[in-house]
Amino acid sequence: MPKCDVLVVGGGPAGMAAAVTASQLGLSVEMIEQRRTLGGAFFRQPIEGVRPIPQRASVKARWHKLSADMSRAPVRIHYGCVFLGVDSDGFVLFEDRQVGEVVRCAARAVIIATGAIEKVHPIPGWDRPGVSTAGGLQVMMKETGQAPKGRILLAGNGPLLIAAAAQMAMVGNPPVAIVESGDPMRPGLTGLGLLVAPYLLVEAFGFLRAVYGAGVPWLRGARIEGIEAHAQGLQATVVRRNGERSAFVVDRVGLHEGIRSNDMGLPAIADASTSSPIVIRAGDCSEPLGALAAEADGALAARKVAALLGHGQSRGGEQALLGRLRQAQAVLAKLFAPTIAPLDVPDHTTLCRCEGRTIGDLKNLVAGADLKSGREVKHNGRFSMGSCQGRFCAANTAELMTRLRPGAPPVVASDLTGQRWPLRPVSIAALVAATKVKAPVD
Amino acid sequence: MSSESFFWMGKPIPFRAGESVAAALEAAGILSFGPAPGGGPTRYFCGIGACQCCLVRIDGCVREACLTPACSGARVEELGAADAKV
Repeated sequence: MPKCDVLVVGGGPAGMAAAVTASQLGLSVEMIEQRRTLGGAFFRQPIEGVRPIPQRASVKARWHKLSADMSRAPVRIHYGCVFLGVDSDGFVLFEDRQVGEVVRCAARAVIIATGAIEKVHPIPGWDRPGVSTAGGLQVMMKETGQAPKGRILLAGNGPLLIAAAAQMAMVGNPPVAIVESGDPMRPGLTGLGLLVAPYLLVEAFGFLRAVYGAGVPWLRGARIEGIEAHAQGLQATVVRRNGERSAFVVDRVGLHEGIRSNDMGLPAIADASTSSPIVIRAGDCSEPLGALAAEADGALAARKVAALLGHGQSRGGEQALLGRLRQAQAVLAKLFAPTIAPLDVPDHTTLCRCEGRTIGDLKNLVAGADLKSGREVKHNGRFSMGSCQGRFCAANTAELMTRLRPGAPPVVASDLTGQRWPLRPVSIAALVAATKVKAPVD
Repeated sequence: MSSESFFWMGKPIPFRAGESVAAALEAAGILSFGPAPGGGPTRYFCGIGACQCCLVRIDGCVREACLTPACSGARVEELGAADAKV
């Protein structure tokens, strides 16, 4: 059974910074990462022999430093390992997919850095093949060095759509259009204070130049209404603020409504010096502020753990940077505030994909005088019950429940998901084998 | 580059070293990975192992196609009736 001071879950920017800092502070560190390479979604590495997609020099420099620091740090990395949770005896459970075993690890502290997931709103056809998250298309591009094939439509909200479109244009297949519910170019938005983070302006300008240079229409104040099957692929209907509708026939649709913490079901934070183990979260899974903030927050988490484990207090410049990035995100949220009201979504629309539950199913379930809790909606209606553990439907289900019951207390995603392990599907045989390791041998 | 391949429903799919099963299937124009236990089709969606939408059976084990590196000679199949929920 592996033993260490700190087990870091996730090898993205937050996890890498946490591992490097914890190790510099004298702690023994191990890391689990679900893929065979480090970097997370933001720094997803290209496969061997492939030319990486173009990136800004500052992003390349950050990766270079992070990976160099990581390779110098005496951190044992377990690749191909999936985090399952912390069991009732305080052991960390993970599945080592390379050998097909569940491992119980005794760590004094666990730093969870599982990153973010993308928000996707339910619309008819969001569950069709060819429809993915926009970030899903982006990481695939980073991995393969190639743009997704065919005609692509990007739709939703926020700056990631522009970034993905620019990268697609740079590798030779710009999207046919970007559908954006906000309108960051509308008058009256200057002086919002983006100068708190000048790098964001530089980044935005670079991406916009690539998008406009490739002639990609940026349809602001517009929403995607639905996606249907079409003889030549998929037909997406787009509604403009003035009610005008247009159709796009494409091969792929990338949806994105911003990011949220990938925190569904995670073990509770336990950050007292007496906690066994200490459990803290770092980076986007704690607060979704993006990769630069994740790095800072990872280092901060490591300092906190070191202090709790009696390795002394230390300070870096992380708090100040996080403050500025938090302000910058608030400005971006204002810039991209939707300028078109949400559209009506028909009852047949899939809400929970894993269990095949629709918006109409939820309406039927919550109709009536008794006020069902999030937990009841999960157990009786199977919403958020499936293999994704509600990562893509719990927030949407909670929001719709709140809207359907005006006056009732609002429902949040964690009312449905709760805190539980295993966080990912795992074979019962592997779990039983792991339990046996613990049994006394006498 | 390598000329290795794995089998998707018995058909050889070429892949490049280090590539995920999902990337190789997408490159081969395969967007639907078969029926899912919940009803709809299984397919690539989030790319980060979170959504469980791209589950396939690889040499008998249910795995996320977006996380699992392609391996020469592997048998990759749709989730069959055996994976349907009870």
